[in-house]
Amino acid sequence: MNGKLLSRHAECAFWLARYLERAESLARILETHTSFRRGQAGSNSWAWIVALYAEETEFYKRFDEADAASVIRYYVTDLENPSSLLASVRAARENARTLRALISTEMWTQLNDFYTRILTFNESDFHETRLSRSCDIIKRNCYSEIGVAESTLYRDEIWPFFYLGLIIERADQTSRLLDVEFARQMSGASDDRPETQTSLWSVLLRSFSAYHAFRRVHSRGFAPHLVARFLIFDTHLPRSIAFCGEEIQRTIAQLRGEFHLSSAQRPLDHISTFLDALREESQNAELFTHLHDFNDWVQQALIELTAELGAAFFGHAFENQSLAATTETSTSLQEQLQS
Amino acid sequence: MGTVTSLHNPALDTPLENYDAGEFYCELLGRPDNPNTELLALYERLQGIDLADLAIRAEDAKRELQMLGITFTIYTERDAVDRVLPFDIIPRVITAQDWRKIEAGVCQRVNALNLFIWDVYHKRQIFKDGVVPAELVFRNSNFRPEMVDYDPPLGTYVQIAGIDIIRDAAGQFLVLEDNCRTPSGVSYVVENRHLMQRAFPDLMVGFAIEPVSDYGVRLASKLTEICPSGISDPQIVLLSPGSFNSAYFEHIFLAREMGIPLVEGGDLFVENDRVYMKTIAGPTPVHVIYRRLDDDFLDPEVFNENSLLGVPGLMRAVHKGNVTLANAVGTGIADDKAVYDYVPRIIRYYLAEDPILPNVKSYICREEEALRYTLENLDNLVVKPVGESGGYGICVGPKASRAELDECRERLKRNPANYIAQPMIDLSVCPTLVGDDAVEARHVDLRPFAITGRETWVLPGGLTRVALPKGSIVVNSSQGGGTKDTWVLRGDAK
Repeated sequence: MNGKLLSRHAECAFWLARYLERAESLARILETHTSFRRGQAGSNSWAWIVALYAEETEFYKRFDEADAASVIRYYVTDLENPSSLLASVRAARENARTLRALISTEMWTQLNDFYTRILTFNESDFHETRLSRSCDIIKRNCYSEIGVAESTLYRDEIWPFFYLGLIIERADQTSRLLDVEFARQMSGASDDRPETQTSLWSVLLRSFSAYHAFRRVHSRGFAPHLVARFLIFDTHLPRSIAFCGEEIQRTIAQLRGEFHLSSAQRPLDHISTFLDALREESQNAELFTHLHDFNDWVQQALIELTAELGAAFFGHAFENQSLAATTETSTSLQEQLQS
Repeated sequence: MGTVTSLHNPALDTPLENYDAGEFYCELLGRPDNPNTELLALYERLQGIDLADLAIRAEDAKRELQMLGITFTIYTERDAVDRVLPFDIIPRVITAQDWRKIEAGVCQRVNALNLFIWDVYHKRQIFKDGVVPAELVFRNSNFRPEMVDYDPPLGTYVQIAGIDIIRDAAGQFLVLEDNCRTPSGVSYVVENRHLMQRAFPDLMVGFAIEPVSDYGVRLASKLTEICPSGISDPQIVLLSPGSFNSAYFEHIFLAREMGIPLVEGGDLFVENDRVYMKTIAGPTPVHVIYRRLDDDFLDPEVFNENSLLGVPGLMRAVHKGNVTLANAVGTGIADDKAVYDYVPRIIRYYLAEDPILPNVKSYICREEEALRYTLENLDNLVVKPVGESGGYGICVGPKASRAELDECRERLKRNPANYIAQPMIDLSVCPTLVGDDAVEARHVDLRPFAITGRETWVLPGGLTRVALPKGSIVVNSSQGGGTKDTWVLRGDAK
């Protein structure tokens, strides 16, 4: 079985999972935003969702204001915007279609059925008042597809690439959400009565599907730095940066070991360096004050890792610049945070 | 055996109550003067089904096709639409005796065509002996000078053939067309059977039907037989033009059934006259390519230089004997509609046998006599362009309007060599569910698939295409055609 997976197909499996995870994440964020935030101060603000994906330039080129209608249009229904919900599902299906000969029939039918179903959604299904219901359907269908993959996808080399796409995207989404949410919470713009604060942090945790897990570990209160540390370093939380990082490392190590792919060494070194730095960071008491820089560093490391995988397996020309950037960024972060 | 009427439940709408095959041969009932008694049991079983139930099952099957994404793609100016090829729930059945004849006839034809192609690219004896006019082949754009003196493994050029067969009013099978390049449709044969087994298992009970699901395994082993010499465990791949191709579903199907990589031109490259595919472990040698790409696009170094779908240097690797293409390049000289008329003579010439399956009479319009006849009888003839496929450009005389006939006449006069004409054949019919409340006679054809390595094997049955519009005889999917499951009854069955 070794050596028969086309580079192009490995890349499709990687992106199939990334688009699924991305769609799931965006649907979950929008769902939390429209359901749990009702009635809260600042709940009418949609601008933070635009900030989440750092797409302010593109967005404000097309819309004057980030309100429910414009954000939903841009991030949910607009097929021209490649990061919209529907565009992500469509891209996932396109990748699955290319991979159809390799994935299980069950994976294909679940995704195809899902796609056909959301094509029948109309404007009103995505109106602010029904958005939460529609996002819930999308979210659960993404979960289903990931679950079907887990139960049916043959574990040759295609699985590690699928799984890498999934957890790299998950780490990236966690980092982005963490960054934007903490900036919002800490800006102090909102009402700082303790009961409001409690509710804000609980919504934040819910948008990571981490509320009850956090409660089990920290049964009283919501100290902001504890919430942040939980979402970053808790190795039992499937969305934490540390959990995803370790899974990435384990998966690349499997490519290197079980599948004897020597080109996995560089990406493996990259993720190991990242995890070392992350462990060191967990000892850093000052982390909370550098949260934005930290998140930039995480996202940059994931971009570089994706480039490493592209060079090692997907047949992309390797750019020396990105290699240089890798080492440089890693050191600069440590310097920055330790200074 | 009970009579047909004894099974009628008068409370129900029986599907074949008002069925009328007219003057055509019916694949279920035969002819009134020569009824097909072997299929009476199936007829009775169909009659025992409530029409409404039949419609529900048809709807289930359609939904399943959609869900499985068994689609072909139609391109409009704006976008690509995945369309399900309509599936008719009432099967077309071929008796063991009829099948033996079709099978033998298809094998004979494929063997003769392979010998013909070898001769054309080597000794050219058939021209010297005056059996086929040389210019018919050499002026054909599908003749590939690059193939002269090339020796394909086992002498096989056409590994995969689809032979289109029809049945006239007397019940005789005739060959309508040979497809020796990249015939498509075999995926529907297998998928239709699977669909039938799920939607209509009770209809099949008690009938011994030849299986079709081992096509992929058979094909993979035939393709192994033709691999370059010295290779014991060849790497076979399926080369597709890509996911925008209308037959992409079939490419997926075949790659899966054979367990081989589905590659596109960009996944392959040639180095030192050897073909490699780009994998996550680096370049991996490729030995046999089942290509679903026309000759023109295969190798920009040799053919269409603008082709982005092919692999530069591929033909060098072929000539060095490092890779085998299935089908070989240049087989288009054998399935040309102008060569078609000579196939019975080709069979006699190489095999010294009479053709088992006769041709439909055709008039080759490049010949003066035939052109005159065609122009005079345009309203009684079917005129077809020689080089087209997919049912495009066909003029069905008896059904054409005045304007269409005039237009056809103009095209004929402008470029007679591009056309052949055939008499209107009374295609056989098969009971077909129309809408959700009627079973009516619709015309069908049959495309059996033959695969050839050392020997030829024919998939039992083949693709039955059905022309869904009332009275239509054009069965192509692009022209409103659907498909049916095709049963070949086993010899030992009643």
